[in-house]
Parts: sequence; structure tokens; C-alpha cells
Amino acid sequence: MSYQCPVCEKIWPDTMELARHVFGVGDQAHKDWVNSKGMNFIELLLIQTMEPGNKGYKTLAELLEREAKKVD
Amino acid sequence: MKKKLLHLTVNDEYHELYISPKKLLVEILRDELGLTGTKRGCNTGACGACTVLLDGAAVKSCSILAMQADGAKVTTVEGLADGAELTPLQQSFLDHGAFQCGFCTSGMLMSATAFLQEDRATKDIKEGIQGNICRCTGYNSILRAIKAVAEGKYKEEGR
Amino acid sequence: MKKYTVINTPVHNIDGIAKITGRAKYTFDITLPRMLHGKILRSSYPHAEILNIDTSKAERLKGVKAVLTGKDTLGLKQGIWRRFKELCDEEILARDKVRYIGEPVATVAAIDEDTAEEALDLIEVEYKPLPGVFEPLEAIKEGAPQLHEQAERNINVTRHIEWGDVDDGFQKADYVREDWFRCSSQAHVCMETHCAVADYTPEGKLTVYTSTQSHYYIKVLLAEILGLRENDVRVISRYTGGGFGSKFELDSAQFCSSLLSMKLCQPVKIVLSREEEFTATKRRTPMFYYVRSGVKKDGTFLAKEARVFTEGGAYTAMGATALYLTGFFQSFPYVWPSYRYDGYRVYTNTAPTSAMRGFGAPQATFCAETQIDLIADELGIDPIEIRRKNAMYPGYEVPGQATIQSCGLDQCLDKIDGWIKSRGELPRHRGIGIAAYGFMSGGIFNWFDTPYAFSSAVIQINIDGKVDLFVGSQDMGQGSNTTMAMICAEELGVKFEDIRLHMGDTENCPVDLGAWGSRETLMQGNAVKMAASKAKQQILEFATAKLSPNIVYDLDIKDGWIHLIARPERGLSYYDVVKEAIRGKEGQPIIARGHYTPHRKGMISPAYSFGVQAVEADVDPETGKITLKNCVTAHDCGQVINPLGVKGQLEGAMAMAAGYGFTEDLPMDEGKILNPNLVDYMLLRATEMPETEVMEVETYEPEGPFGAKEAGEGLTNPTAGALSNAVFHATGISIKNLPITPEKVFNALKEKKKK
Repeated sequence: MSYQCPVCEKIWPDTMELARHVFGVGDQAHKDWVNSKGMNFIELLLIQTMEPGNKGYKTLAELLEREAKKVD
Repeated sequence: MKKKLLHLTVNDEYHELYISPKKLLVEILRDELGLTGTKRGCNTGACGACTVLLDGAAVKSCSILAMQADGAKVTTVEGLADGAELTPLQQSFLDHGAFQCGFCTSGMLMSATAFLQEDRATKDIKEGIQGNICRCTGYNSILRAIKAVAEGKYKEEGR
Repeated sequence: MKKYTVINTPVHNIDGIAKITGRAKYTFDITLPRMLHGKILRSSYPHAEILNIDTSKAERLKGVKAVLTGKDTLGLKQGIWRRFKELCDEEILARDKVRYIGEPVATVAAIDEDTAEEALDLIEVEYKPLPGVFEPLEAIKEGAPQLHEQAERNINVTRHIEWGDVDDGFQKADYVREDWFRCSSQAHVCMETHCAVADYTPEGKLTVYTSTQSHYYIKVLLAEILGLRENDVRVISRYTGGGFGSKFELDSAQFCSSLLSMKLCQPVKIVLSREEEFTATKRRTPMFYYVRSGVKKDGTFLAKEARVFTEGGAYTAMGATALYLTGFFQSFPYVWPSYRYDGYRVYTNTAPTSAMRGFGAPQATFCAETQIDLIADELGIDPIEIRRKNAMYPGYEVPGQATIQSCGLDQCLDKIDGWIKSRGELPRHRGIGIAAYGFMSGGIFNWFDTPYAFSSAVIQINIDGKVDLFVGSQDMGQGSNTTMAMICAEELGVKFEDIRLHMGDTENCPVDLGAWGSRETLMQGNAVKMAASKAKQQILEFATAKLSPNIVYDLDIKDGWIHLIARPERGLSYYDVVKEAIRGKEGQPIIARGHYTPHRKGMISPAYSFGVQAVEADVDPETGKITLKNCVTAHDCGQVINPLGVKGQLEGAMAMAAGYGFTEDLPMDEGKILNPNLVDYMLLRATEMPETEVMEVETYEPEGPFGAKEAGEGLTNPTAGALSNAVFHATGISIKNLPITPEKVFNALKEKKKK
């Protein structure tokens, strides 16, 4: 199963890869999508470096697991 | 400001020029005489790219007024080679790859020429080019090139 | 017959005689008829709104021809990131807001430099000062002044690299170490400052002479920002007085001179002063690094985690690439089973930071190599051995990032080990530090969105056998002209002297992306080799008719002799065959093209250079002063093409990198650079240079021309780390804050004594 970016519809093999894509592109459209889901894009990014254990990415990946469209 | 008459022999050619007394020697050489081989890298006398020989001594031509050189003999990089015949130092620079971008090279050659002619008894080679900055080579190839000439590895016949 | 007749022989630099006789004409030397002189007014505020600019007094000054401001531009933002519009964030002539001290706000053309300078003083700019922010860790705080509307918390770009299970790796580690590092800035200090002569004619054509690393980029960027068609702009750059990463973006001299020339239909020359060069061109990226490594008791690497905040300055510039490369090279040149990197580039009200020789890797290598020695010391392992145990090797795949083909790292370690042993017992207060490194041979990325091949070359063979070689690569001193002529001569089988090289002019040279990221030898070299090979094929078609081999592949050309490979004595003169061949082609010269674009070569580069450097230094315990004694480098750049050139690159890179390690810095006060001149900015002089020795380790890189790869840029990576390790072994103190100044060493020694 793969996951589709809710903003630009690019397909990724898992939600961690998709999270990396969302942070990596990081343009206004991707930021807006994350913020519209009740999270704060920038805070998530900063958590990634301020706290151990890949936390920012994991949190975003969990959100994407719930929200992103799954494709075969 | 009133212009003044400057008498200057550059690379064995005599010139009389009416110039503004504010003008630096490097400006006269480059802008009036078209000798653009002499470069400018800083205008504060720190980089040495503008080094020329003034009556045989290496000077930074951005830090003296042209009028201070009135009556003097100036040698620039263009005055080193005799037609197609390079000086031993130029040949050694070529053989040792003692330049890269080449922008400091003219000044480097003039400082090294002065060193070989005047100062080699009293100074270290490194001190001879201490006033010249090279950002490309790390100096060692330049030092090897000068050393080879100083050690007589290049014939100086006919010069 | 010798394997190669041109390659790996010491030839004279193809531009050498022009350079040592003072005849090489740099942009700085160009004067055109009716030429005017331009100057640029720059912001004295780090952060301010521009309320109004009154140019009327300046315009009235006798001798002033034009005064232009941001209002006279199309108001476009530009950058090399044409695929990522948000990153093209720099207007060059600011319209509404200035974001660093030195940002251009107006430009003047006048009959001479003095008049232009005087006119700058008459321009009245009304600013509304805004609070500024100067450190990345301040700039990300909630409520910090924001530089760009779209960049919340001033975060400009982020990069994440990850492979393996990092958390699991740390769990299994016997020893975990974490360190914080601060990597300083550095100025490029090209001896020729940025300069341009723009000449716009009423036909609507713009010609720009300029000192650049990429005439193609400048042509396209100028066309875009000026509203011209790409091929109405011609960029000429025959000699460039140094680049080091500072000259492949569009700069203020190029843009302002073009704008003025378009207004006046007269040539305009702008040469940046040395002070402008320091304050208002780009510089090496300062980085705040956190590095955590987990290893086994025996020194085997298990997991590494790195985080960095980089001081971006006011604009993106090439800083986004530095952010990626520093993350990638933080893992180099080792096998890390798991690795995680998070890099954030943060906007600050300082001069923009960007590409500089090493492109983020020197910072990473300093942190990584310093930490490895601390780990080795803690575990009681020899610095050579811990590196050897974890070294990359041929065929190693960096998960998801790169495949290493040739890699001579192990042999490099052998050579350096041998050299260290040959030094025997060292005197007191002296230490030898080593650092291993690697670097890319040109980037595979195409953020510029060029539709062209990354590198192209054209060859024309004339009636006398002389070869016109047209390349797009730019020689800024690194010697690519000589390298390309050598590759061409070798492949074609002619003499080096038979090559006439054409470069530095977009009008008659094919496209190449330029001299950055150590591209030229591999990328332009491959294009040249392909063109030469195709031209050779055409000549051999004619020779086949004369020599009647079984098939054409039985023939070859070497040193101007076309012969049967099996019987080299049977052959024909290349020069004779070319004459007949051209006659046979109805008088058409032999023409061939070559090109190269990397495909499916991972995320970074098609090939990597490797090496190990040892620095021997004295540390004066009374003053903290460091004196370099020796610097020895074992280096794998594949097949050496030009031995004299490689040596020069290695020594030069080392001098620049040593400067980064212990003398050069750009201290600031509220965004103002405090040492913008060559007296206070401490470059190494001849008297401070140590003895240098270069030991070549030859490998064969399948992706490179004749097996060659990068040589010269990667060498800026190891020196700061090797120097910090030398200080550590001499004194037992480790300085994690570049540059390693006497003051820092002295204070650390005092601190150590107290304990």
C-alpha cells in the first residue's frame, strides 16, 4: 500500500516518506494543509530538533496515516 | 585641480603626461598607459596585486601618487619578457604551476623579481612575497618557482 | 606504447603565458568606447522599510548620467532555484525593504568613478528602521522579527536525511557521545572582486563581460530579471580572477551595470570595492551543529544523529544546497548503519550565506572528525584504526543516497599512517591530527531547471589538423581549460599543442552549468571525451580505407599517428589523413558534439573523491598561538589528468581551509561585519604556510573521463578538523568553536589547569 500527498498528490511508499516530503517541500500549500488539521507546521519542525527520537516526523506521519489517501 | 606634468619611464619607454596630481601610480599605468597587467585587489596596500618595480624596488602602486614617481623608472609585468623570450622567473612560474587564477601573478612576479635582484642575500623567499596575497595556490608552488631560479636552475644568460 | 601520451604528464597551463606576461584580460581590465562607471548605494541598516528614495540631487550632479532604484526594475525576485519559486527571494535592488547591511538600494552611472561615488552621497533614502535578528537560534523564537512574509519563524529551508534504525542503533551502542559545535563564516576573497561591464545596444542586445563561474547561469538569470529573451543576452568571461563559490549567482555588479546600460545605451562598468566584496557579496554559511554518535566498544559505528541550524542571512542564495550537502557529508566518508539528519536554514538580518568551496562539507567534516578523535580517545583506539574500521569502500551504497564506485580511502589511510610513523617522537606541545574526507564530482540536481545537457562540448578539426575545442566550462583559476584540452588531445590522439580552446562566451560556446560543486573534470570532461571520440571516429573512417584493417576498431590514433592497434608501426600521419578527409567531405571541417548529464546516479553525485589529511602543529602554551608545521594529504581523485594542476589545487585548498580553521572569521555587531578589509581579515600569508606534501592514490572511477574524478574542492573539507585534532593531541583540549584562535586555546588551557 502507498500513500498520496494530500496537497500535490505525489505517491510515497509509507507515511514516514510522505512526512519527509511534506516537510521537505515545506511551501505554503503544504504548511496550510498541516495547519488546517489542527497542528502547527513550524512547531512540528522545531520539535524535531528540540526533542529526541524523530518526534516531529513521527507525529506528522501519524497524522498522515489517518488523513492521507491510501492507494494500491 | 590643476594638472601637472609627469615624466615617467615605463618599461624603457619614456612618457610625458599631464595628469591630475591626485592620481595614483596604478591609475596612470592602467588607465593612461593601458598597462592592465598590473592589477588592483584592495586599494589599501594590503594585497600586493599592484606591485611594480620603481627604480628597481618593489612598491605597491596603489599606495603612491603618480607624481611621487616623477622622473623614475617603472617596470611592470609587461616589461619582464623580451618579446617572446620569458624571464627565467616567468619560465619557472610556468614550469611550477605557480599561478591559478592569475590575478595576483603580476604583483607576485614583480615582488619576486625584486627579491631575486636585491634581497636574496638578506631575506627568506617567504618574506620576499609576504606582502602579496594569493588566494588560489597556497603559495608553495610560487615559493618553489622562486627557489628554483634562486638556486640557478634557470639560466640567466643575456639578461 | 605508453597507456597515455598526454594525461598525467606535466603540461604548461594553457593560459599560462597570457597570465605571466600580464596579457590576460580580466573583466576588471576591460574598457569600452563611451564607457561609464557605475556605483551602488547600499543599505546601512540591517532591517528597515524603504519609505522613499530621492535621487534628484544626485541626478543634478555634473557628470552623472543616470540614477536608478528598485522602482526602475521589473520588480522580480530571482535566484537559481527556478524549480522552487519560493526560494527565488532576492530582488537585488530592494524596493520596499532592506534585510542586511550592504543590500543594494540604488545605482548610479557617471563619467568616472569619483563622480559616481560623489553622487551616492547625494541620494537621500528615507528608512523606517525595523528590529533586526542576527542569530539563527534567536530568529526561530516566537516573536522574533520576521524577514520574509512567507517564512514563519524565519525558517527558510529544511532538510531531512535518514536511513537505518537510528533509535535502535543508539540502544545497542556501548558508548554514546554528544557534542555541540559552532562553525564560523568565511569570505571567499577572490583577488578579482565581482565586476561587470554591460553593453546594451539599440538593437535590443545586451553583452555583459563579467567575472563569473557560470556564464550560462548569468545569461539566463539576467534575461529573466531584465525581461529579455535568453539569447539576446551574451555573457563573456574569458578570465576570472578566482571564484571559490562566490561567482555563480547573479550579483549586484552584473545586474546594476546591465540596468544602467539598458537605460543609457552606453557601456557601464561596475567593480565592487574590497569592502563591498566583504560586506555585500555572499559568504560561507555559519552553522550550529549538534552531533550525537553511538559506537561499539571496538569502535564500530552504529548510529549517528546530527542537527544543524544554519545562519542563512537575508536570502536563500545557494544556502539550500549547502544545507543538504552538509547533512550528507556529515556521514562521510564512513559506513554508518543508521543516520538521521535534520537541517534548518534560518533567515537572519546578515549578509546572505551561500556556496563556498566545500559547499557545507567543511563544516560537517570539522564536527565529525573532531568528534571521532574524541570517541577514539575515550575508547583507547588509534585515530587511524577507528577510521579504517568504518571507512567507505568500493561498491558501498549509502542507503537511498549514493553508490560509491571507486574509493581509495583505505590506501590513503595506509599512506598517512606511514607518514605519521615516519615523524617519530614529537617535541612537547606539538601534535598531529588527521581527518578523512570525501567530496562529490558535480551535483546531479537540476534546480535551475535547465532543458540542456549539464555539459556539452563541440569539436571542429581544421585542414591543418588543429582542433577547435568549444567548451561551456568556466576556468576561474582551477585549470579546467588545461584539463579539457588534455582530455581532448588524449582521446583524439593528437598533441596538446594541437588544441585551440574556446570558452567563456555564451555566443559560441555550448551550455555547461558552470564551475561549482567540482563539476568540470567529470561532467565537462565526459562531454569533451565524447566529442573527441566522435571526431576520431570520422577520421578513422577515412583511415580505414587506406590501412584496410579487418574492422575500424582495429585502428587508433596516438600522438598524431593513426595506426593498427596490433601493429603500431603500420600507420599514417593524422595530419595527412585529416587533409584528405576534409577534401573528401566536400571541404567541410570535421565537426562533432559531446554531452553529459548524469542519470540514475543517486541523490548527490555520480562519483566521490576521498582522502586523508594529517596536520602537524605546534601550540604555544603561553599564548595559545598555533603554528602549522606540516600538512600531508593522501588523496584519491581517480586517474590524475593534470598532475601540476592537482597539486596546485590541493595546496591552495589547504591554505584556504587552514585559514578557515584558525585565522579567518567575519565577526559582526548587529549585522555589521567588523573586519571588511585585508588587514583585519586574516588570510594566511606565504610566511605562515607549512610544508605541504601530496600523495596520490590512484583509483579508476568508471563514471569519469579516463577514470578521473573531483580534485580540489574536497580538500577544503579536512583541514579544520585535522587542525583541531592536532591541537587536541598536543594539549588535550578540544576546541569546538571555529576558528581555533589563540584566545580560545589560551582560555581552554587555563580552564584545564584549574581542573
